[in-house]
Amino acid sequence: MRASVQRKLLVAFLLITLLFMAMGAFSLFTIREMSRQSELLDRAHQRLESAQDIHHSLAMQMHLTAMALLVRDEAAVASVLRENNRFNEALARLEAAVEEPERAAIQKVRASQEEAMAVVADIANLVRDGKIAAATQLHGSREDPLYRSIDARVSEMVQRENARMVSLRDGLRAAQQRSLLVMTTFAAISVLLALAGGFVVSWALIQPVYAAHGFLNELASGRFGGTIVVPNRDEFGELAARLTATSRELARLDSEQRRAAQELVALNAKLEQASKAKSEFLANMSHELRTPLNAILGFTEMLGDGLYGPVPAEFKEPLADIQTNGRHLLRLINDVLDLSKIEAGRMELAVEAYSAQEIVGMVRTSLRSLAEEKGLEFKTELDAGLPEVMLGDARRITQCLLNLAGNALKFTKRGGVTIRVARDGEAVRYSVSDTGIGIPPEQLAEVFGEFRQVDATVTREFGGSGLGLSITKKFVEMHGGRIWVESRLGEGSTFHFTIPLESAAVASTL
Amino acid sequence: MSQKTILYVEDNEFNRKIIRQLLAQTSYRLREAHDGESGVRAALEELPDLILMDVQLPKISGLEATRRLRADARTAAVPIIIVTSYALDGDAQKAKDAGATAYLAKPYSPRDLLAKIREIIPEA
Repeated sequence: MRASVQRKLLVAFLLITLLFMAMGAFSLFTIREMSRQSELLDRAHQRLESAQDIHHSLAMQMHLTAMALLVRDEAAVASVLRENNRFNEALARLEAAVEEPERAAIQKVRASQEEAMAVVADIANLVRDGKIAAATQLHGSREDPLYRSIDARVSEMVQRENARMVSLRDGLRAAQQRSLLVMTTFAAISVLLALAGGFVVSWALIQPVYAAHGFLNELASGRFGGTIVVPNRDEFGELAARLTATSRELARLDSEQRRAAQELVALNAKLEQASKAKSEFLANMSHELRTPLNAILGFTEMLGDGLYGPVPAEFKEPLADIQTNGRHLLRLINDVLDLSKIEAGRMELAVEAYSAQEIVGMVRTSLRSLAEEKGLEFKTELDAGLPEVMLGDARRITQCLLNLAGNALKFTKRGGVTIRVARDGEAVRYSVSDTGIGIPPEQLAEVFGEFRQVDATVTREFGGSGLGLSITKKFVEMHGGRIWVESRLGEGSTFHFTIPLESAAVASTL
Repeated sequence: MSQKTILYVEDNEFNRKIIRQLLAQTSYRLREAHDGESGVRAALEELPDLILMDVQLPKISGLEATRRLRADARTAAVPIIIVTSYALDGDAQKAKDAGATAYLAKPYSPRDLLAKIREIIPEA
């Protein structure tokens, strides 16, 4: 059966309340009983008093009769009659107070008293007539025995009333003790019951709270899927069922997530493998491409050098064109190879001390003829404050600068290109400025991406693999430097890259 | 001075042809081998004045062949030019480590190669 926490608490408190109500009722009953008893006692006391009055009045009557005989005075006898009235009143009171069985005894007393009064009247007559002797004789023979019998009867009544009173008093005392005992026992049992009830109810409430606490701790530490067991069938039981369901759901989500993560890891490994395979394929491919290209360039050079005989003048230009295009193809292959090696994580920097002057000189030598051909100014400026020793992979830095300066010359139709090298904090900054076509602002962010040039027509018009900037960026980053560009469309661009002076620290595989 | 002999170890026919035609204009005598093993054998049969060794060769690589020749007392002092492949990073260092006298990256200019040869063993 389902019992709510509220119902449990209500039942517990109702039980306790009922107990106290019962105790109260019993107390009321006891008090009423005791007051009845004390009333009885009171009445017994009254009866006793009346009986004593009778007793006293009787003694007075006897005494007054004796006095009347002694002083021979009729008036004294009248006092006896007065005393008789008192006697009758007390007797009437007693009669009203006693139970039925006592009434018979009282009737007898009254009858004897009336008889005694008749005798007293006779005695009074005799005294008035002066017949004292006869009066005395009457007193002795009749009145005295009557009084004595009345006295004995009243004494008996007094004794009975006394005994009854004693027994009532004893009964009352016993009842008091009994009720005290009963009340104490009742109170003790009530308190014990209330405590036990409170303990049972609070235990029933606190136990599932503890269980939930432990269970939630388990959840918090990431152990999902457990079951919380509470004996309650109340709201706590429902909560526990919810918690168990929540935990199972969490376990399900957790395992799902783990599985998804595992799948991702596996997928990632697969992708990495595929990427590596691709890079290796490219590396092999470009090597295979280079072998025939080597032969093409070799034969062309020997042909041009006149190794096979004199070269007709009209052959010179096409031969030069073959060589130019062959070298271009070689650069493309090299770029693809470099990029694939970087991506495969197989590109390593050879970091050693190098001279910026040598690098700039080499770039200048390589590109001077191109600049002259295009009629462009080609300047190099080296800051006087450059450190003596700089660390880096000279070959790669040269390649970077060659890429930037080569691009600058390609994209500039008039004006010039300037290479500047200056110290920039804890790094050396290489800058290449041109007065070329510039780069639209929305494409500035993309120029370092792979296969990016301002647009596809640029590739056709100016040549280049579209990989140069991307490779340059990767080499710079491998050195721990950064690369950026400032440009205004139609006015020219300036590319900067930095190589940290202590670049040896990051000279590892990318 | 007598004619100087160059042993060229290379598996690609066209590359051998280039060197053949290049050296035909000079006083150098050319011998050819098509793989690493036969290259080592040829060098030991008749000591050349210079060995031109490609890296990627069938059977054993140019590097391994160079190491074997350097290990043999007869060929230990023969100059060896290794034609490194740009494709394999650190080839220059590997060539040095194997005991090469000089190295040249492919694709090379026949003109430059000839200059290098002349530098090491001047023509008779």
